[in-house]
Amino acid sequence: MNSLFTPLSWSDSGLILTGIWNTIIISVVAIVVGTVLGLIVGFLRAESNKAVNVLFGSVLDVLRSVPLIIQLILFSTFVGAMGNPLAPFVAGSIVLSLYTMAFMSEVFRSGFESVSPSMQIAARSLGMTKWQTIYHIRLPIGLRAVFPSWLGVSLSVIKDSALVSVIGYMELLRTSEQLISRTQQPLEILIGVGIFYFIISYPLSHYGRYVERKMAI
Amino acid sequence: MDYEFHWNIVFQNMPELLNGAFVTLHVSVLAMFLGVVIAILLAIAKMNNSKPFCYVATVWVEVARNTPALFQIYMAYFGLGAFGIHLSPYVAVLSALVFINAGYLTETFRGGFQSIPATQYSASKSLGMTSIQAYRYIILPQMLRRIYHPMTNQFVWSILMSSLGILVGMSELSGTTQRLQSLSFRTLEFFIVAAVMYFVITKLVLFTSSLLARRLFKGEI
Amino acid sequence: MIRKLATLVFACAALTSVSATADQLDTVIQRGTLNCGVVLDFPPMGYFDENNEPAGFDVDYCNDLGEVLGVDVNVLNLTWGDRIPSLISGKTDVVIGSTSDTLERAKTVGFTYPYFVFKFQVISHEDKNIDSFEDLKDLKVGAALGTTYETEYLAYADQQGWGRDNYTSFKSENDAFLGLYQGKVDAIISTNTNIATKLRSKEFEEFVAGPYVPNYDDVVGIIAKRDETAWINYLNLFLIHQIRDGNMNKAYNKHFGVDAPADLIQSLRDNK
Repeated sequence: MNSLFTPLSWSDSGLILTGIWNTIIISVVAIVVGTVLGLIVGFLRAESNKAVNVLFGSVLDVLRSVPLIIQLILFSTFVGAMGNPLAPFVAGSIVLSLYTMAFMSEVFRSGFESVSPSMQIAARSLGMTKWQTIYHIRLPIGLRAVFPSWLGVSLSVIKDSALVSVIGYMELLRTSEQLISRTQQPLEILIGVGIFYFIISYPLSHYGRYVERKMAI
Repeated sequence: MDYEFHWNIVFQNMPELLNGAFVTLHVSVLAMFLGVVIAILLAIAKMNNSKPFCYVATVWVEVARNTPALFQIYMAYFGLGAFGIHLSPYVAVLSALVFINAGYLTETFRGGFQSIPATQYSASKSLGMTSIQAYRYIILPQMLRRIYHPMTNQFVWSILMSSLGILVGMSELSGTTQRLQSLSFRTLEFFIVAAVMYFVITKLVLFTSSLLARRLFKGEI
Repeated sequence: MIRKLATLVFACAALTSVSATADQLDTVIQRGTLNCGVVLDFPPMGYFDENNEPAGFDVDYCNDLGEVLGVDVNVLNLTWGDRIPSLISGKTDVVIGSTSDTLERAKTVGFTYPYFVFKFQVISHEDKNIDSFEDLKDLKVGAALGTTYETEYLAYADQQGWGRDNYTSFKSENDAFLGLYQGKVDAIISTNTNIATKLRSKEFEEFVAGPYVPNYDDVVGIIAKRDETAWINYLNLFLIHQIRDGNMNKAYNKHFGVDAPADLIQSLRDNK
């Protein structure tokens, strides 16, 4: 008979590394996809008329007003019930990316709207076409202004990726939970997990604040 | 699709779900209130130059902002448990939310305070105001206006994050939903209703907050 | 492009029309793999061994089933809440996950005959001296969220007028034992099998098994999609053979250290 509880050992490092890797992968996917979609939606919202805005706005609103954990459970169950079971990684990436998009689109929209109309008129009067104005004036200026907020959203996505564990994705927190069950040593394992997130998040959040301060001057 | 929706079981259990929603609201309001109180103290500590206080405040803020909420909740529940400190699921979730709220709001408050130029204070004094008057009529109203919106966001965030109570067996809206669905296996129905309830709660909070803002700031925010 | 799409649509239509006649049993055999869902959070029925591989009574049953079907076995780790969605979505063909066969749940999924019977029991620190269920009155009691024993305990507590203030839910079976180990609660309710396994470990040597939940047997079945009757028939026959061919006793012996009790075998034979 096997013993139920065994202490943490070096042979567990493979499992922990897999957990760390999975956390990184799903965060990167969500940030990249969320940023691209957020950029598109944010731009469309800044450009378009009220009706389109209301439509976009209400969808994004739902994504921001329902807890991520509920969205994950609902989505993975729902696509399953529709007959298209998705692997936890795929379902998790989709939900997390859309969730990221909802926040990113607001960030980008405010960036685009921060570029004053007079600057655009000036650009047009210099003979630039509409697209040139967008490409050379609005995008670079608008994007630079929102970099700190973009970084803030990205960092919160890394932290929120821990929730994908509820649909069975073996990211760092779920891995550590499995180890806690086997070792009954929650404290050591949890502190390790905390340090990992802190090491990733702390320097980046400081950098974000540094950039923000520099831009304010 | 192979799924037939059975809604009547959800309606039969509505009282329990509403009760869960009440607990959700309850824990978020309390977490916000305590978070604000602690954040004010931490902000003062950070702006004060006395080393030990400033140090504690900095560590608090950085840990709260740079680790996942789920981690904080596990830590409050099983992490502290290893030291023989036993919080109930409710208290564990509450303290994790207070910890995070305080961490984020400290920076909000500090930013809000520092955004008001010191010259305004001296100007009010030269107009013959006392310090208390200067704060009451000049500094604080402006500060409140700057921090009002971030505070509302933080409150909505606490409501959504209290759903993590599901992971320590707390009987708030998500935990109740989880229990009911595992008794009947009606996962989709129960979670759809829970999602709608969260949506309604957040919208009500935002609506109330904008009504309040209109009264407080006479429309200009 | 359009031609490609049309081909795809036809291919899909053709596939669905084939699978409309093929039931789950055919599908599994043709696929050559059995996707078997197990809750690996419920020792000794399902857990991760020291190499972080799935192990346990339920996992052995998955492997036995794969063997008689002549297919490979893919064990999927499920949480309690995943069991139904995984079936409905086709992620799993069958869930061998100690699922209590309540009539409420049977409205949603199909159950086989029972394959195991648990008793619900109290486990507590030896200082607590719990002799009967009434002794739990002023103690902090816990159980895993959404389990049948949670429901039973709460019903009992309500009936006795104890209120629910002393009760704590845990997300999972493992969390409940961790809570007991740490001293968060004075006692938890779990299954006799899980308790017996835990008591053999060094960590739980100061704990003792207490009274059983009065008048309750937890009868569990294998679950599959509700409309797959032929598949459920096959699974029923499989369960009968598990007892007849001695595989049940072998798995029991492996995970509990003793032969399967005669009354358990008898009650499974009686399909109680």
